[in-house]
Amino acid sequence: MMTSENSWIVAWSNSLGFPEALPQWLYAVVALVSVFVFVVVPSGGLMSYLERKLAADLQARVGPNRTGPAGLLQPIADLFKLLQKESRVDWSWKENLWLSVHTMALYSTLAVLPLGSMAVLVNTEMSVFLPFWSALVLALGTMLLGLSQNSVPGWFGGIRVAAQTLAGSFPALISLLCTGVRSGSFRWSALAESQGFSPWEWTVFANPFQMVAFSVFVMSGLVLLAIPPLDGGLSMSDIHGGVSSHLYGRRLSLFQFGRFYGFFFWSVITVVLFLGAWDLPAQVTVSLKAGGANQVLALLELIWLLLKTFGLMLLIVWVAKVNSRSRVDQITDFTWKVLSPFSLFALVGASLWAGWRAI
Amino acid sequence: MKESVFSAIALYVQSVFRGAWSIAGSCKTALPYLIRWGDLKKEVTEGYPDPISSKTADDLPTRSRGLLFNDIDRCTGCRECETACPSRCIRVESEPGSDQAKVWVSVFDIDFSRCIFCGLCVEACQPGSLVHTKQYEGAAYAVPDLVASFGRGQITEEHRNKWAMMRKLGESDGVAP
Repeated sequence: MMTSENSWIVAWSNSLGFPEALPQWLYAVVALVSVFVFVVVPSGGLMSYLERKLAADLQARVGPNRTGPAGLLQPIADLFKLLQKESRVDWSWKENLWLSVHTMALYSTLAVLPLGSMAVLVNTEMSVFLPFWSALVLALGTMLLGLSQNSVPGWFGGIRVAAQTLAGSFPALISLLCTGVRSGSFRWSALAESQGFSPWEWTVFANPFQMVAFSVFVMSGLVLLAIPPLDGGLSMSDIHGGVSSHLYGRRLSLFQFGRFYGFFFWSVITVVLFLGAWDLPAQVTVSLKAGGANQVLALLELIWLLLKTFGLMLLIVWVAKVNSRSRVDQITDFTWKVLSPFSLFALVGASLWAGWRAI
Repeated sequence: MKESVFSAIALYVQSVFRGAWSIAGSCKTALPYLIRWGDLKKEVTEGYPDPISSKTADDLPTRSRGLLFNDIDRCTGCRECETACPSRCIRVESEPGSDQAKVWVSVFDIDFSRCIFCGLCVEACQPGSLVHTKQYEGAAYAVPDLVASFGRGQITEEHRNKWAMMRKLGESDGVAP
Protein backbone atom coordinates (compact mmCIF):
# COMPACT_ATOMS: atom_id res chain seq x y z
CA MET A 1 0.00 0.00 0.00
CA MET A 2 2.70 2.46 0.91
CA THR A 3 5.48 3.36 -1.43
CA SER A 4 8.87 4.42 -0.18
CA GLU A 5 8.64 7.89 -1.69
CA ASN A 6 5.54 8.63 0.39
CA SER A 7 6.78 7.40 3.72
CA TRP A 8 6.09 10.62 5.58
CA ILE A 9 4.83 8.72 8.56
CA VAL A 10 8.08 6.69 8.62
CA ALA A 11 10.07 9.92 8.77
CA TRP A 12 7.88 11.31 11.56
CA SER A 13 7.92 8.15 13.64
CA ASN A 14 11.71 7.81 13.28
CA SER A 15 12.21 11.37 14.40
CA LEU A 16 10.05 10.62 17.44
CA GLY A 17 12.35 7.71 18.36
CA PHE A 18 10.37 4.67 17.21
CA PRO A 19 12.36 1.74 15.78
CA GLU A 20 12.70 1.76 12.02
CA ALA A 21 11.69 -1.80 11.26
CA LEU A 22 7.98 -1.58 12.08
CA PRO A 23 5.66 -3.51 9.77
CA GLN A 24 4.07 -1.62 6.90
CA TRP A 25 0.49 -2.09 8.06
CA LEU A 26 1.31 -0.53 11.42
CA TYR A 27 2.63 2.55 9.69
CA ALA A 28 -0.53 2.71 7.59
CA VAL A 29 -2.75 2.45 10.68
CA VAL A 30 -0.75 5.12 12.50
CA ALA A 31 -0.94 7.33 9.41
CA LEU A 32 -4.71 6.99 9.11
CA VAL A 33 -5.32 7.58 12.81
CA SER A 34 -3.00 10.57 12.96
CA VAL A 35 -4.56 12.14 9.86
CA PHE A 36 -7.99 11.69 11.43
CA VAL A 37 -6.99 13.00 14.86
CA PHE A 38 -4.67 15.82 13.88
CA VAL A 39 -6.20 17.03 10.61
CA VAL A 40 -9.82 15.99 10.21
CA VAL A 41 -11.16 16.46 13.76
CA PRO A 42 -9.60 19.92 14.36
CA SER A 43 -10.78 20.99 10.91
CA GLY A 44 -14.26 19.83 11.84
CA GLY A 45 -14.29 21.91 15.01
CA LEU A 46 -12.86 24.96 13.30
CA MET A 47 -15.22 24.73 10.34
CA SER A 48 -18.34 24.24 12.44
CA TYR A 49 -17.39 27.38 14.41
CA LEU A 50 -16.57 29.41 11.29
CA GLU A 51 -19.75 28.24 9.58
CA ARG A 52 -21.92 29.35 12.50
CA LYS A 53 -20.15 32.68 12.81
CA LEU A 54 -20.38 33.32 9.08
CA ALA A 55 -24.05 32.39 9.01
CA ALA A 56 -24.65 34.71 11.98
CA ASP A 57 -22.86 37.59 10.26
CA LEU A 58 -24.83 37.07 7.06
CA GLN A 59 -28.08 37.22 9.03
CA ALA A 60 -27.09 40.19 11.27
CA ARG A 61 -26.94 37.97 14.35
CA VAL A 62 -24.20 37.50 16.94
CA GLY A 63 -23.55 33.76 16.72
CA PRO A 64 -21.82 31.66 19.38
CA ASN A 65 -20.21 33.97 21.95
CA ARG A 66 -20.57 32.33 25.35
CA THR A 67 -18.14 29.41 25.56
CA GLY A 68 -14.59 30.70 25.59
CA PRO A 69 -13.34 33.87 23.92
CA ALA A 70 -15.78 34.80 21.12
CA GLY A 71 -17.40 31.38 21.46
CA LEU A 72 -14.33 29.50 20.25
CA LEU A 73 -14.96 26.51 22.53
CA GLN A 74 -18.50 26.01 21.24
CA PRO A 75 -17.65 22.91 19.11
CA ILE A 76 -16.20 21.16 22.19
CA ALA A 77 -19.22 22.09 24.28
CA ASP A 78 -21.53 20.76 21.55
CA LEU A 79 -19.58 17.52 21.41
CA PHE A 80 -19.92 16.90 25.16
CA LYS A 81 -23.58 17.85 25.06
CA LEU A 82 -24.25 15.24 22.38
CA LEU A 83 -22.12 12.58 24.09
CA GLN A 84 -24.02 12.77 27.36
CA LYS A 85 -27.43 12.40 25.76
CA GLU A 86 -29.31 9.19 26.37
CA SER A 87 -29.88 7.00 23.35
CA ARG A 88 -33.12 5.47 22.23
CA VAL A 89 -34.07 2.12 23.70
CA ASP A 90 -35.64 0.51 20.65
CA TRP A 91 -32.48 0.72 18.60
CA SER A 92 -32.21 -2.34 16.34
CA TRP A 93 -29.04 -4.21 15.44
CA LYS A 94 -29.71 -3.43 11.77
CA GLU A 95 -29.35 0.27 12.40
CA ASN A 96 -26.09 -0.36 14.25
CA LEU A 97 -24.84 -2.46 11.36
CA TRP A 98 -25.63 0.08 8.70
CA LEU A 99 -24.41 3.00 10.72
CA SER A 100 -21.05 1.26 11.11
CA VAL A 101 -20.92 0.28 7.42
CA HIS A 102 -21.75 3.86 6.51
CA THR A 103 -19.03 5.17 8.82
CA MET A 104 -16.40 2.71 7.64
CA ALA A 105 -17.11 3.50 3.99
CA LEU A 106 -16.77 7.15 4.79
CA TYR A 107 -13.48 6.93 6.61
CA SER A 108 -11.97 4.49 4.13
CA THR A 109 -11.39 7.60 2.00
CA LEU A 110 -8.85 8.70 4.61
CA ALA A 111 -6.42 6.27 2.96
CA VAL A 112 -6.64 8.09 -0.36
CA LEU A 113 -6.84 11.62 1.01
CA PRO A 114 -3.99 13.62 -0.54
CA LEU A 115 -2.58 16.06 2.00
CA GLY A 116 0.79 17.05 0.53
CA SER A 117 3.53 15.79 -1.75
CA MET A 118 4.87 13.63 1.09
CA ALA A 119 1.51 12.79 2.65
CA VAL A 120 -0.13 10.65 -0.01
CA LEU A 121 -0.70 7.08 1.05
CA VAL A 122 -2.10 5.64 -2.18
CA ASN A 123 -0.61 7.13 -5.32
CA THR A 124 -1.51 4.96 -8.28
CA GLU A 125 -2.79 5.70 -11.77
CA MET A 126 -6.36 5.37 -10.52
CA SER A 127 -6.11 6.85 -7.02
CA VAL A 128 -8.39 9.74 -7.99
CA PHE A 129 -11.25 7.30 -8.54
CA LEU A 130 -10.98 5.55 -5.20
CA PRO A 131 -13.04 8.17 -3.29
CA PHE A 132 -15.94 7.46 -5.65
CA TRP A 133 -16.00 3.85 -4.63
CA SER A 134 -16.23 4.97 -1.01
CA ALA A 135 -18.91 7.50 -1.86
CA LEU A 136 -21.06 4.82 -3.51
CA VAL A 137 -20.66 2.44 -0.57
CA LEU A 138 -21.44 5.38 1.70
CA ALA A 139 -24.67 5.95 -0.20
CA LEU A 140 -25.56 2.28 0.10
CA GLY A 141 -24.88 2.35 3.84
CA THR A 142 -26.92 5.53 4.26
CA MET A 143 -29.81 4.14 2.25
CA LEU A 144 -29.93 0.89 4.21
CA LEU A 145 -29.58 2.82 7.47
CA GLY A 146 -32.71 4.71 6.46
CA LEU A 147 -34.57 1.58 5.36
CA SER A 148 -33.70 -0.29 8.57
CA GLN A 149 -35.31 2.42 10.70
CA ASN A 150 -38.77 1.23 9.70
CA SER A 151 -40.17 4.74 9.47
CA VAL A 152 -41.44 7.05 6.76
CA PRO A 153 -38.63 9.63 7.06
CA GLY A 154 -36.10 6.80 7.05
CA TRP A 155 -37.57 5.17 3.95
CA PHE A 156 -37.88 8.34 1.94
CA GLY A 157 -34.59 9.72 3.19
CA GLY A 158 -32.75 6.55 2.21
CA ILE A 159 -34.21 6.42 -1.26
CA ARG A 160 -33.60 10.13 -1.79
CA VAL A 161 -29.97 9.85 -0.72
CA ALA A 162 -29.48 6.95 -3.14
CA ALA A 163 -31.11 8.92 -5.96
CA GLN A 164 -28.93 11.93 -5.26
CA THR A 165 -25.76 9.87 -5.19
CA LEU A 166 -26.54 8.16 -8.48
CA ALA A 167 -27.37 11.49 -10.10
CA GLY A 168 -24.30 13.23 -8.74
CA SER A 169 -21.69 10.60 -9.51
CA PHE A 170 -22.14 10.85 -13.29
CA PRO A 171 -21.20 14.53 -13.77
CA ALA A 172 -18.58 14.21 -11.03
CA LEU A 173 -16.80 11.39 -12.84
CA ILE A 174 -17.00 13.10 -16.23
CA SER A 175 -15.69 16.43 -14.94
CA LEU A 176 -12.97 14.54 -13.09
CA LEU A 177 -11.73 13.25 -16.46
CA CYS A 178 -11.11 16.86 -17.55
CA THR A 179 -8.30 17.22 -15.02
CA GLY A 180 -6.71 13.99 -16.21
CA VAL A 181 -6.88 15.30 -19.78
CA ARG A 182 -4.78 18.28 -18.71
CA SER A 183 -2.30 16.56 -16.41
CA GLY A 184 -1.99 13.33 -18.40
CA SER A 185 -2.36 11.16 -15.31
CA PHE A 186 -4.65 10.44 -12.39
CA ARG A 187 -1.85 10.20 -9.87
CA TRP A 188 -2.21 12.74 -7.09
CA SER A 189 1.46 13.65 -7.55
CA ALA A 190 1.06 14.16 -11.32
CA LEU A 191 -2.03 16.30 -10.80
CA ALA A 192 -0.12 18.46 -8.34
CA GLU A 193 2.91 18.73 -10.59
CA SER A 194 0.82 19.91 -13.54
CA GLN A 195 -0.20 22.94 -11.49
CA GLY A 196 1.65 25.63 -9.58
CA PHE A 197 1.53 28.08 -6.70
CA SER A 198 0.09 31.09 -8.49
CA PRO A 199 -3.57 31.03 -9.56
CA TRP A 200 -2.81 31.28 -13.30
CA GLU A 201 -1.03 27.92 -13.05
CA TRP A 202 -4.11 26.25 -11.56
CA THR A 203 -6.16 23.85 -13.63
CA VAL A 204 -9.33 25.82 -13.05
CA PHE A 205 -7.95 28.86 -14.89
CA ALA A 206 -6.15 26.88 -17.61
CA ASN A 207 -9.03 27.25 -20.06
CA PRO A 208 -12.78 27.98 -19.98
CA PHE A 209 -13.66 24.29 -20.18
CA GLN A 210 -11.72 23.55 -17.01
CA MET A 211 -13.64 26.38 -15.34
CA VAL A 212 -16.90 24.68 -16.31
CA ALA A 213 -15.51 21.34 -15.17
CA PHE A 214 -14.58 22.88 -11.81
CA SER A 215 -18.06 24.30 -11.19
CA VAL A 216 -19.69 21.04 -12.23
CA PHE A 217 -17.32 19.03 -10.04
CA VAL A 218 -18.03 21.13 -6.94
CA MET A 219 -21.80 21.08 -7.43
CA SER A 220 -21.99 17.38 -8.26
CA GLY A 221 -20.01 16.67 -5.10
CA LEU A 222 -22.60 18.58 -3.09
CA VAL A 223 -25.29 16.43 -4.73
CA LEU A 224 -23.33 13.21 -4.33
CA LEU A 225 -22.74 13.63 -0.60
CA ALA A 226 -25.95 15.60 0.14
CA ILE A 227 -24.21 18.70 1.44
CA PRO A 228 -26.08 22.02 1.83
CA PRO A 229 -27.41 23.77 -0.24
CA LEU A 230 -28.07 20.65 -2.33
CA ASP A 231 -29.12 18.40 0.57
CA GLY A 232 -32.74 17.72 -0.31
CA GLY A 233 -32.22 14.04 0.58
CA LEU A 234 -31.69 14.96 4.23
CA SER A 235 -34.14 17.87 4.30
CA MET A 236 -35.35 18.90 7.74
CA SER A 237 -38.61 20.51 6.71
CA ASP A 238 -40.40 17.77 4.79
CA ILE A 239 -38.88 14.48 5.98
CA HIS A 240 -37.47 15.50 9.39
CA GLY A 241 -33.87 15.06 8.35
CA GLY A 242 -34.50 11.81 6.44
CA VAL A 243 -32.01 9.17 7.49
CA SER A 244 -30.85 11.20 10.48
CA SER A 245 -34.38 11.63 11.85
CA HIS A 246 -34.04 8.61 14.13
CA LEU A 247 -30.48 9.30 15.28
CA TYR A 248 -29.87 10.83 18.69
CA GLY A 249 -26.94 11.62 20.91
CA ARG A 250 -23.63 10.09 20.03
CA ARG A 251 -25.00 8.33 16.96
CA LEU A 252 -26.21 11.65 15.65
CA SER A 253 -22.84 13.24 16.36
CA LEU A 254 -21.17 10.37 14.49
CA PHE A 255 -23.49 10.92 11.54
CA GLN A 256 -23.13 14.70 11.55
CA PHE A 257 -19.37 14.52 11.81
CA GLY A 258 -19.42 12.07 8.91
CA ARG A 259 -21.33 14.61 6.86
CA PHE A 260 -18.75 17.22 7.70
CA TYR A 261 -16.00 14.81 6.74
CA GLY A 262 -17.64 14.17 3.37
CA PHE A 263 -17.76 17.89 2.74
CA PHE A 264 -14.14 18.24 3.86
CA PHE A 265 -12.70 15.44 1.76
CA TRP A 266 -14.61 16.56 -1.31
CA SER A 267 -13.19 20.07 -0.86
CA VAL A 268 -9.66 18.69 -0.41
CA ILE A 269 -10.01 16.66 -3.60
CA THR A 270 -11.39 19.66 -5.47
CA VAL A 271 -8.47 21.80 -4.33
CA VAL A 272 -5.98 19.13 -5.39
CA LEU A 273 -7.64 18.64 -8.77
CA PHE A 274 -8.44 22.20 -9.73
CA LEU A 275 -7.06 24.79 -7.30
CA GLY A 276 -3.32 24.20 -7.41
CA ALA A 277 -3.14 21.31 -4.92
CA TRP A 278 -0.49 21.88 -2.22
CA ASP A 279 1.98 23.60 -4.56
CA LEU A 280 4.18 26.18 -2.83
CA PRO A 281 6.39 28.59 -4.80
CA ALA A 282 9.03 26.52 -6.62
CA GLN A 283 12.02 28.17 -4.94
CA VAL A 284 10.56 27.51 -1.47
CA THR A 285 10.11 23.82 -2.24
CA VAL A 286 13.58 23.49 -3.76
CA SER A 287 15.38 25.31 -0.94
CA LEU A 288 13.53 23.39 1.76
CA LYS A 289 14.28 20.07 0.08
CA ALA A 290 17.93 21.05 -0.38
CA GLY A 291 18.13 21.97 3.29
CA GLY A 292 16.71 18.58 4.22
CA ALA A 293 13.72 20.19 5.97
CA ASN A 294 11.22 17.73 4.55
CA GLN A 295 8.98 17.84 7.61
CA VAL A 296 8.76 21.64 7.48
CA LEU A 297 7.88 21.37 3.81
CA ALA A 298 5.20 18.78 4.54
CA LEU A 299 3.69 21.01 7.22
CA LEU A 300 3.73 24.11 4.99
CA GLU A 301 2.11 22.17 2.16
CA LEU A 302 -0.56 20.84 4.49
CA ILE A 303 -1.31 24.32 5.85
CA TRP A 304 -1.52 25.85 2.39
CA LEU A 305 -3.78 23.03 1.17
CA LEU A 306 -6.04 23.35 4.21
CA LEU A 307 -6.25 27.14 3.85
CA LYS A 308 -7.48 26.78 0.28
CA THR A 309 -9.86 24.01 1.36
CA PHE A 310 -11.37 26.18 4.09
CA GLY A 311 -11.72 29.04 1.62
CA LEU A 312 -13.64 26.81 -0.77
CA MET A 313 -15.81 25.42 2.03
CA LEU A 314 -16.66 28.88 3.34
CA LEU A 315 -17.59 29.94 -0.18
CA ILE A 316 -20.01 27.02 -0.40
CA VAL A 317 -21.35 27.81 3.09
CA TRP A 318 -21.97 31.39 1.99
CA VAL A 319 -23.99 30.20 -1.01
CA ALA A 320 -25.82 27.66 1.16
CA LYS A 321 -26.77 30.15 3.86
CA VAL A 322 -28.31 32.78 1.60
CA ASN A 323 -30.17 30.49 -0.80
CA SER A 324 -33.16 28.33 -0.10
CA ARG A 325 -32.68 24.58 0.02
CA SER A 326 -33.73 22.84 -3.19
CA ARG A 327 -36.22 20.00 -3.22
CA VAL A 328 -34.77 16.57 -3.93
CA ASP A 329 -36.51 16.25 -7.31
CA GLN A 330 -35.21 19.69 -8.29
CA ILE A 331 -31.72 18.58 -7.33
CA THR A 332 -31.76 15.35 -9.36
CA ASP A 333 -33.43 17.18 -12.24
CA PHE A 334 -30.75 19.85 -12.16
CA THR A 335 -28.00 17.23 -11.92
CA TRP A 336 -29.18 15.14 -14.86
CA LYS A 337 -30.31 17.97 -17.10
CA VAL A 338 -27.77 20.68 -16.38
CA LEU A 339 -24.67 19.32 -14.66
CA SER A 340 -24.35 16.21 -16.84
CA PRO A 341 -24.56 17.98 -20.24
CA PHE A 342 -22.21 20.67 -19.01
CA SER A 343 -19.71 18.07 -17.81
CA LEU A 344 -19.77 16.37 -21.23
CA PHE A 345 -19.36 19.76 -22.87
CA ALA A 346 -16.39 20.49 -20.61
CA LEU A 347 -14.81 17.10 -21.32
CA VAL A 348 -15.09 17.50 -25.10
CA GLY A 349 -13.80 21.06 -24.92
CA ALA A 350 -10.92 20.22 -22.61
CA SER A 351 -9.93 17.27 -24.82
CA LEU A 352 -9.97 19.43 -27.95
CA TRP A 353 -7.97 22.10 -26.11
CA ALA A 354 -5.38 19.54 -24.98
CA GLY A 355 -5.19 18.10 -28.51
CA TRP A 356 -4.75 21.59 -29.97
CA ARG A 357 -1.93 22.33 -27.55
CA ALA A 358 -0.27 18.99 -28.35
CA ILE A 359 -0.19 19.59 -32.10
CA MET B 1 -41.74 31.60 -33.40
CA LYS B 2 -41.34 28.09 -34.66
CA GLU B 3 -39.75 25.76 -32.16
CA SER B 4 -36.33 24.79 -33.49
CA VAL B 5 -33.39 22.96 -31.97
CA PHE B 6 -31.43 26.17 -31.74
CA SER B 7 -34.13 28.11 -29.97
CA ALA B 8 -34.56 25.23 -27.52
CA ILE B 9 -30.82 25.23 -26.81
CA ALA B 10 -30.84 29.01 -26.46
CA LEU B 11 -33.71 28.81 -23.97
CA TYR B 12 -31.91 26.09 -22.03
CA VAL B 13 -28.67 28.07 -21.79
CA GLN B 14 -30.61 31.19 -20.92
CA SER B 15 -32.42 29.46 -18.07
CA VAL B 16 -29.17 28.02 -16.72
CA PHE B 17 -27.57 31.45 -16.69
CA ARG B 18 -30.67 32.98 -15.16
CA GLY B 19 -30.45 30.47 -12.32
CA ALA B 20 -26.77 31.17 -11.77
CA TRP B 21 -27.51 34.91 -11.84
CA SER B 22 -30.20 34.56 -9.19
CA ILE B 23 -27.88 32.55 -6.91
CA ALA B 24 -25.18 35.20 -7.33
CA GLY B 25 -27.76 37.90 -6.65
CA SER B 26 -28.76 36.46 -3.30
CA CYS B 27 -25.09 36.04 -2.36
CA LYS B 28 -24.52 39.69 -3.24
CA THR B 29 -27.52 40.80 -1.19
CA ALA B 30 -26.13 39.16 1.94
CA LEU B 31 -22.63 40.55 1.46
CA PRO B 32 -23.22 43.95 3.16
CA TYR B 33 -24.32 42.10 6.28
CA LEU B 34 -21.12 40.06 6.29
CA ILE B 35 -18.75 43.01 5.97
CA ARG B 36 -20.96 45.42 7.99
CA TRP B 37 -21.44 47.85 5.16
CA GLY B 38 -23.26 51.17 5.61
CA ASP B 39 -26.25 50.99 7.94
CA LEU B 40 -25.53 47.39 8.90
CA LYS B 41 -22.66 48.13 11.28
CA LYS B 42 -24.35 46.58 14.27
CA GLU B 43 -25.95 43.24 14.99
CA VAL B 44 -29.72 43.38 15.37
CA THR B 45 -29.72 40.67 18.02
CA GLU B 46 -28.71 41.80 21.49
CA GLY B 47 -26.68 39.72 23.88
CA TYR B 48 -28.30 38.15 26.95
CA PRO B 49 -27.64 40.60 29.81
CA ASP B 50 -25.06 38.97 32.02
CA PRO B 51 -21.34 39.47 32.78
CA ILE B 52 -20.28 37.50 29.67
CA SER B 53 -21.97 39.93 27.35
CA SER B 54 -20.81 42.82 29.65
CA LYS B 55 -24.41 43.87 30.11
CA THR B 56 -26.24 43.89 33.42
CA ALA B 57 -29.87 44.01 34.45
CA ASP B 58 -29.51 47.80 34.77
CA ASP B 59 -28.85 48.02 31.03
CA LEU B 60 -32.35 46.78 30.29
CA PRO B 61 -34.87 49.32 28.96
CA THR B 62 -36.51 51.57 31.58
CA ARG B 63 -39.98 50.10 31.14
CA SER B 64 -38.88 46.45 30.86
CA ARG B 65 -41.24 44.14 32.71
CA GLY B 66 -39.20 41.89 34.96
CA LEU B 67 -40.27 40.03 38.08
CA LEU B 68 -42.91 41.86 40.17
CA PHE B 69 -42.19 43.43 43.53
CA ASN B 70 -44.72 44.76 46.02
CA ASP B 71 -43.70 47.34 48.61
CA ILE B 72 -45.96 46.13 51.40
CA ASP B 73 -45.50 49.33 53.44
CA ARG B 74 -47.30 51.28 50.72
CA CYS B 75 -49.75 48.55 49.72
CA THR B 76 -53.34 49.31 50.75
CA GLY B 77 -54.70 45.83 50.09
CA CYS B 78 -57.33 47.23 47.68
CA ARG B 79 -57.18 44.09 45.48
CA GLU B 80 -57.26 46.13 42.26
CA CYS B 81 -54.28 44.11 41.00
CA GLU B 82 -56.04 40.85 41.80
CA THR B 83 -59.03 42.02 39.77
CA ALA B 84 -56.93 43.24 36.87
CA CYS B 85 -54.82 40.11 36.57
CA PRO B 86 -55.92 38.13 33.49
CA SER B 87 -54.12 34.95 34.57
CA ARG B 88 -55.30 35.20 38.19
CA CYS B 89 -51.88 34.73 39.66
CA ILE B 90 -52.19 37.33 42.43
CA ARG B 91 -53.84 36.42 45.71
CA VAL B 92 -54.50 39.20 48.26
CA GLU B 93 -56.00 38.83 51.72
CA SER B 94 -56.32 41.73 54.06
CA GLU B 95 -57.97 42.39 57.42
CA PRO B 96 -58.38 45.31 59.80
CA GLY B 97 -55.09 46.29 61.31
CA SER B 98 -54.19 48.06 64.52
CA ASP B 99 -57.30 50.21 64.22
CA GLN B 100 -60.36 50.22 61.96
CA ALA B 101 -58.85 52.77 59.53
CA LYS B 102 -55.81 50.66 58.81
CA VAL B 103 -55.52 47.57 56.61
CA TRP B 104 -53.26 44.68 57.41
CA VAL B 105 -52.29 42.89 54.16
CA SER B 106 -51.73 39.44 55.53
CA VAL B 107 -51.31 37.63 52.22
CA PHE B 108 -49.94 39.01 48.97
CA ASP B 109 -48.82 36.07 46.80
CA ILE B 110 -47.77 36.32 43.16
CA ASP B 111 -47.58 32.97 41.39
CA PHE B 112 -44.86 33.46 38.75
CA SER B 113 -45.63 30.07 37.24
CA ARG B 114 -48.85 31.64 35.96
CA CYS B 115 -47.83 35.29 35.57
CA ILE B 116 -47.61 36.46 31.96
CA PHE B 117 -45.84 39.74 32.78
CA CYS B 118 -48.50 41.80 31.05
CA GLY B 119 -48.15 44.68 33.50
CA LEU B 120 -51.90 45.26 33.98
CA CYS B 121 -51.58 44.90 37.77
CA VAL B 122 -48.91 47.59 37.90
CA GLU B 123 -51.17 49.93 35.90
CA ALA B 124 -54.06 49.22 38.24
CA CYS B 125 -52.06 49.80 41.43
CA GLN B 126 -53.24 53.13 42.91
CA PRO B 127 -50.62 53.60 45.67
CA GLY B 128 -47.88 52.53 43.24
CA SER B 129 -46.54 49.85 45.52
CA LEU B 130 -46.56 47.09 42.91
CA VAL B 131 -43.75 47.55 40.39
CA HIS B 132 -41.82 45.62 37.81
CA THR B 133 -38.18 45.16 38.75
CA LYS B 134 -35.41 44.54 36.23
CA GLN B 135 -34.80 41.06 37.63
CA TYR B 136 -35.46 38.44 34.99
CA GLU B 137 -33.86 35.25 36.30
CA GLY B 138 -36.58 33.59 38.37
CA ALA B 139 -35.95 29.92 37.62
CA ALA B 140 -36.71 27.44 40.43
CA TYR B 141 -36.43 23.70 40.90
CA ALA B 142 -40.02 23.21 42.05
CA VAL B 143 -43.23 24.91 40.97
CA PRO B 144 -44.26 26.00 44.53
CA ASP B 145 -40.94 27.90 44.76
CA LEU B 146 -42.18 30.17 42.00
CA VAL B 147 -44.70 31.82 44.35
CA ALA B 148 -43.41 35.10 45.72
CA SER B 149 -44.97 36.12 49.04
CA PHE B 150 -45.00 39.77 50.04
CA GLY B 151 -47.73 39.62 52.72
CA ARG B 152 -47.22 40.43 56.37
CA GLY B 153 -48.61 37.12 57.57
CA GLN B 154 -51.70 36.36 59.66
CA ILE B 155 -52.40 38.58 62.64
CA THR B 156 -51.56 36.77 65.86
CA GLU B 157 -52.25 37.51 69.49
CA GLU B 158 -48.72 38.82 69.77
CA HIS B 159 -49.48 41.52 67.18
CA ARG B 160 -52.58 42.61 69.02
CA ASN B 161 -50.72 42.86 72.32
CA LYS B 162 -48.01 44.92 70.66
CA TRP B 163 -50.55 47.29 69.07
CA ALA B 164 -52.32 47.74 72.36
CA MET B 165 -48.98 48.64 73.98
CA MET B 166 -48.21 51.11 71.17
CA ARG B 167 -51.61 52.76 71.43
CA LYS B 168 -50.97 53.24 75.15
CA LEU B 169 -47.61 54.87 74.43
CA GLY B 170 -49.04 56.89 71.49
CA GLU B 171 -46.53 55.59 68.93
CA SER B 172 -47.06 54.95 65.25
CA ASP B 173 -47.24 51.32 64.16
CA GLY B 174 -45.84 51.92 60.65
CA VAL B 175 -48.80 50.33 58.87
CA ALA B 176 -50.21 52.40 56.03
CA PRO B 177 -53.69 53.80 56.53
